[in-house]
Amino acid sequence: MTEQPVNMPPVKLGLAVAWPALWTGIPIKIVVVLLLLAAGLHPWEPVGLAFLLLLSIPIDIWAVGLSARTVFLERLRMQPPEGLGMALWWKGMALNVVYFPLAYIIESQTIALSKAVAGHIMEIELIKAWPVAERISIELTLWSSIATLMLIMLLLGWLFLFGKFVAKQTTAAQSSDASYQALIRQWDLIRVPSDQPLLLTAFTASGVLLVFLFWGFMPVTTPHPHEQYKKDEVKAPPAIKPTEVLQKSEKLLAQAEGAVQALEEQKAKEEAELSKSRSKSKGKSPAKDAAQGKAEPGKPAKPGPGKP
Amino acid sequence: MSGQPTALEKILAFVDERVGLKHLQAKMLNEPVPGGSRWAYVFGSVLLFIFIMQAVTGILLMFYYVPSADHAYASTQYIIHEVDYGWFLLSYHFWGSSAMVVMVFAHMSQVFLWGAYKKPREMIWLVGLALFGIVMGFGFTGYLLPWDQRAYWATTVGVEIMDKTPIVGDFMARFLKGGPTPGQMTLSRFFVIHVMILPATLMGLAGLHIFLFRKAGPAGPFRGSVEELKAKTDYFFPRQIWKDMVAMGAVFFTICSLAFIEPVVLLEEATPDPGEYHPEPEWYFLFLFQLLRLKIFSGEFGQFLGAIAIPGAFMALLAALPFIDRSPERNIFKRPVALVGWILVMAGILMFTVSAIINREFLD
Repeated sequence: MTEQPVNMPPVKLGLAVAWPALWTGIPIKIVVVLLLLAAGLHPWEPVGLAFLLLLSIPIDIWAVGLSARTVFLERLRMQPPEGLGMALWWKGMALNVVYFPLAYIIESQTIALSKAVAGHIMEIELIKAWPVAERISIELTLWSSIATLMLIMLLLGWLFLFGKFVAKQTTAAQSSDASYQALIRQWDLIRVPSDQPLLLTAFTASGVLLVFLFWGFMPVTTPHPHEQYKKDEVKAPPAIKPTEVLQKSEKLLAQAEGAVQALEEQKAKEEAELSKSRSKSKGKSPAKDAAQGKAEPGKPAKPGPGKP
Repeated sequence: MSGQPTALEKILAFVDERVGLKHLQAKMLNEPVPGGSRWAYVFGSVLLFIFIMQAVTGILLMFYYVPSADHAYASTQYIIHEVDYGWFLLSYHFWGSSAMVVMVFAHMSQVFLWGAYKKPREMIWLVGLALFGIVMGFGFTGYLLPWDQRAYWATTVGVEIMDKTPIVGDFMARFLKGGPTPGQMTLSRFFVIHVMILPATLMGLAGLHIFLFRKAGPAGPFRGSVEELKAKTDYFFPRQIWKDMVAMGAVFFTICSLAFIEPVVLLEEATPDPGEYHPEPEWYFLFLFQLLRLKIFSGEFGQFLGAIAIPGAFMALLAALPFIDRSPERNIFKRPVALVGWILVMAGILMFTVSAIINREFLD
């Protein structure tokens, strides 16, 4: 299919580059999304979205470059200029920064307006009497068909502008005199990595790493337990360390031994003092001593320290 | 480097001498793909991959699942809450079934839009339609197995719809229910159909489908001169296999993401009284469910028309398609009837599915 750039409509040119570029990047972005989810970042929330957009930059540059070079060689039969991917990506980004917010406003206003109009139509007495299912289908068809048409027009507008950027790049490209087969081989070879074993190793290593990350981050039990199956938080008892337990026990025993010894010493001391005092008082009034001993037969001895 | 063959090479030579391994390998891998390998051709391989994953996860689930009315719910909850990673296995199996339906629609659409059902590929198309029916059967039978309110009542509604078929409807409904009302017999039959009959049938038909496809060869793109198609011819290995593997990886990661973000959570155990619960089928049957809510399909005859006659006629039209559309033209942009028909059918399915979701607010 030989088409000179001036003959190929910009929309067709834009679609020829953008459509395969979109699908080329998606498998890699899915992996990125999964990694973000595993790390607890949701790609639809600001932080996760920022990460996804940042990581998408090199992916998009590569995908756009690959698709554009293919179109240049196969469809336009031209040698692609240097830095085609980067050039188209920058221009595409500049276009998106301006176009997407505008398109969002237009589309949301179209949806709001068409919903309002459809709502007014549904308020007609005749239609109000219709069953719910019919009214839902008619209302949905009315406003969604208008919104879809507007979306298609906005998409065609974007493709037109992007196609213009691609067409501008053809001015820097040179026509190729090579045969069709040679051109096909050229775009075919840009897909074949120059160092295939290295790429294969990188893919395998990434796959192995992803598998480890996957099972590492995966919760063992369900993160959404059913109400009837919610388990109470059970704290595991601390692990027993035998050596520490033995050492503690030995310390306790040694302390107890020391205490017992101290008690015995105290008791011996007290007994010695008591017998001393007794022998002193025996020398002065043996009768008094005997009477004291008799008068207080039931009086227990003073307990020593440590004894109950 | 020694010229002596290694042990592995000796084994391969042994097998090759008796089986023709090298010839088989060449036949399988060196199939030419006219017009080059394409991402549009990956859907068939992806379907096979999803089926294998469903079989693997299904077998692992069967280690714990008990197909009896008394224990089905409890064993499913056990898988979710007690078995290590059981919640992920079940969720992967659940989302894998949805992925299979999406891929079936994508595959059928690609074949239809590329005119790859035309001569000499009529039989591939017919076997493919049978496979489509089996995939839908998988979804229908598997949905009952958790035995919660959603599963029980969605199946009850589905079987009652089947009852509307004239002549054989009553027999079919009673055969599936195993009695006058859904219960233990229903669960047993659905389980056997889901894990024995349908897998065996699918494997047989898938093998036939691939054999017929290899016999007829790929249809190739519908644009390009003979010279251009010849210049871009690839072989199945490695280009198309590489694309198939990337697509399989992308689908695998997508299913994993869905299983992670939205794991399966059961409703209450099935009871004879639906109570507050409004029965609803799985998302890929919602469009038909909503269609049956229209007044034109009310009453016995209306229900038969909407549930059996129209879908049956549509499937019959698809089956007759290769014999009605005999024009050799395959370019979709030069087949306006086919293109408009496909857009209308897809838009209709989407519209009724969304309507069913909106209708939920009006049920009370």
